[in-house]
Amino acid sequence: MDNSAVKTPGGRYLFSQRLGRVFIYVVLILGAFASIVPFVWMLSASLMTRNEALSSQLTTKQPLLERFVYSEGELDELLSENIPDFVKETDALGVHELKMTAREYANQSEIYWVADDSVYRGGLVNYLFAWSEGNFSEFLTNSVQITFITLAGQLIFSIMAAYAFARINFPGRNLIFGILLSSMMIPGMVTMIPNFISITWFQRIGPLQWFDNWPALTIPFMGSVFAIFLLRQFFAQIPDDLFDAAQIDGASHWQFLWRVVLPLSKAPILVLTVLSFIGSWNALAWPLLVTKTPDWRPIAVGLFYFVDAEAGSWLNFQMAGAVVTIIPILILYFLTQRQFTESISRTGLKG
Amino acid sequence: MQQADRSVERVGEGFPRTGWLQNLLSGRRGRRLREYLTGYLMILPSVVLIFTFGLFPVGFALYISLHKWKIKHGPFVGFKNYASAIDSLAYVLFFGVAVGLAYLAIRTAREILYKAREHNERPWIHLLLGSLHAGSVVLFLRYVVVLAPEVLGIADKVKGLERTRELFIQLMGEALRAESVWPAFLQWITIFALAWLLTIVLWRSIASPRRNFYLTQTSLALTSAAGAFIIAWFTWTEMQKAIADAWETGAEAPIGIQIVSIAAGVILLGIAWKLWTSAVGHTSDRVFLFRGLAALFLIISAWLLIGELPAVIEAGDKDLWQGLQVTVFYSLGTVPFQLGISLVLAYLLFQAVRGKEFFRVVYFLPYVTPAVASAVVFNLIFGQRASSPINAIITFFGGEHQKWLLEPNGIFTLLGKYLGIDVPTWAAGPSLALVVIIIYSIWTYVGYDTVIYLAGLGNISNEINESAAIDGANRWQIFRHITLPLLSPTTYFLSLIAVIGTFKAFNHIYVLRHPMALGTVDTFSVVIFDEFFTKTRFGHASAMAFVLFAIILALTYVNNKVQGSRVFYG
Repeated sequence: MDNSAVKTPGGRYLFSQRLGRVFIYVVLILGAFASIVPFVWMLSASLMTRNEALSSQLTTKQPLLERFVYSEGELDELLSENIPDFVKETDALGVHELKMTAREYANQSEIYWVADDSVYRGGLVNYLFAWSEGNFSEFLTNSVQITFITLAGQLIFSIMAAYAFARINFPGRNLIFGILLSSMMIPGMVTMIPNFISITWFQRIGPLQWFDNWPALTIPFMGSVFAIFLLRQFFAQIPDDLFDAAQIDGASHWQFLWRVVLPLSKAPILVLTVLSFIGSWNALAWPLLVTKTPDWRPIAVGLFYFVDAEAGSWLNFQMAGAVVTIIPILILYFLTQRQFTESISRTGLKG
Repeated sequence: MQQADRSVERVGEGFPRTGWLQNLLSGRRGRRLREYLTGYLMILPSVVLIFTFGLFPVGFALYISLHKWKIKHGPFVGFKNYASAIDSLAYVLFFGVAVGLAYLAIRTAREILYKAREHNERPWIHLLLGSLHAGSVVLFLRYVVVLAPEVLGIADKVKGLERTRELFIQLMGEALRAESVWPAFLQWITIFALAWLLTIVLWRSIASPRRNFYLTQTSLALTSAAGAFIIAWFTWTEMQKAIADAWETGAEAPIGIQIVSIAAGVILLGIAWKLWTSAVGHTSDRVFLFRGLAALFLIISAWLLIGELPAVIEAGDKDLWQGLQVTVFYSLGTVPFQLGISLVLAYLLFQAVRGKEFFRVVYFLPYVTPAVASAVVFNLIFGQRASSPINAIITFFGGEHQKWLLEPNGIFTLLGKYLGIDVPTWAAGPSLALVVIIIYSIWTYVGYDTVIYLAGLGNISNEINESAAIDGANRWQIFRHITLPLLSPTTYFLSLIAVIGTFKAFNHIYVLRHPMALGTVDTFSVVIFDEFFTKTRFGHASAMAFVLFAIILALTYVNNKVQGSRVFYG
């Protein structure tokens, strides 16, 4: 691994090698720069006013956040002058009505937010807008709820199945596992249409409300071949001695699973948790099909409609929405970065 | 978990203690049986879910694709959806599936024969049992097909009524006892029961320790043979119908000729490949002869395929073909660059550099970022307005600002215009909008590929590099002749994943597509989704999805064959 760090007897790098190292760093830093630039621009644009974002400037002149307090009545007078009730915008797609009154949007060169008796001014107001008017607070809770429901089901079912496939020798085990594995090859576009029809059927007959509700968004993803596969690989590595010892002590499979296997498998469970978050933050096609109202809309679909319709050409709001979408995943990624990257390089799969 | 444990025990206790059951669930044999039950119980929820939402839909999609289905279940139309998607290629495709199944059947049968000869056994009795099991599978599938419309109809019947359990049970009962369904059920259950009864009765009299193998393999061989026959026969009748229809309208229908020439092209291609690979390891004259023959076959087959394909797919869906073309451009534009860049980055990172962790985290960022969010950012960076970041940079360097994601014109056309050359339409290349999406994809996936390459580099033992260095190889030689070949399994894996990924690509393209780009960025998956979501032609979309499935399977197979023989697994 260290073959480039050959040193002269004096302990110094040769000149040519030093040049080589400089070259290596230049390339690596260029790569890092290319990876990060879009994020930097996103952050910067999310703090701008609309006019600033539409111009080609790189930074904003806006303050981050300032608060002005007014006494009662004074504010309404201030805002009622010369400002239309709804701000309308025309672009290539037609006329959009921005769901924002003059109260929230006063002036295109500065951003205001009015709450009760005070006015906020500055870049962070974009986030306030995305958070409450753009409904991102709801989308975020929806996505978190969807993830947790899916994850709970997925973990319980997959841990049981993976344990059985790894530890219990029942007839037809390999056949069933092979059939399950083969289903990983099927592209999502093939199963999407029949699943949509199935869920329409379930919706009509069943007591459960599927559309615009959690079942359609979570239940189909609770059975995960990938999770079973990952956990099975892990469970199979647990030494047989442990199991034999437990059996001599009279433990059943369930007890062994609960007392011995689970405490040992925190790492794969963590990886599955992160993957599940990323998966539900990425889901677009299926939630587009099964959510007609914003009630259970997950964050990706929320952002999609927000950008498409509500935020229109208000680039600053769009970027604020994108930042709100990205941040939870980035936090999760930085927290679990090591295990996550390791598992990716081991299995090569994203889930 | 413990509660469930107790419930397992209760299964044993709850039954009336009628002796035989007590015998069954106690003692050594009983313990084994209880163990099996625990296993099945543990996999049950997952299996039910994966079957309902992962496996059953494949059969259901096939069923949908054979019907006219615009939101509501329509009449059976046979191959119409396939024919309107890919024209006569549909028949070729289905004959191909039949041939594949027949091949599977023959291969399995040969395996059984070899095994039997090896151990000097005559497992004739398995032929009887296997055919019964195969028959029960086929009859079960038929039963499901007959039952499907009745069960689907329940949803329409409960409309407007109060949805109670009793009503559902009553309607389900009616569906199960419907005139067309009941006989099919009886036939299936008879054969099914007979098969298992005979198996259990005869099982003890079969002494061979390989009886399990014989039974599953004969059943598999016979089931796939039956499947091959049914599909071939069905395709044949559909083809006859299509030809008859064409006759009535006075048009010519050279489907037969088309199938023969396409099949001949494919077979010749296979033979050419066989010859080419078999030349390796022979004396030089033979190598020359084989390679020459292979090249000849290759040319003939290519001529046959390329000459015939446009006529075969003439009446196919225009969107689908454009989608295929876009996907091919997308693949060619993404995969080589993505792999090349990540290989360089991984190789440099692998040298002892400071901040290796930092670089890895940073490169990986675009990959973990939710696709919709990063696509929204790219949407604005590559905006069509003159002040968008990319246009600002271009005008800064004296260029002309572009429409980027809204530009349907090919990149080479635009370059030609800039340089004053007239580029013919066939050489237009991917549209500028697609190029932006290609850049986005490279940006996203380089980090992932780098991490995998890093793992691959870590697996190469240092001793090989050191001994090469002692032998006087310079760094480039080591990279070219040692690192690269040893990395070939990684490269193979990554390129396969990447190519299949371009066919499945959806999220970022759906966000970045714009009506002004005139569908020049719509890859295969996007076309299918549009057909389904916007145009609500479910049957047609399902047929297209199966075409996608076939392409992905073929790509995997060809990739395995071609690259698998060149990959060096240290």
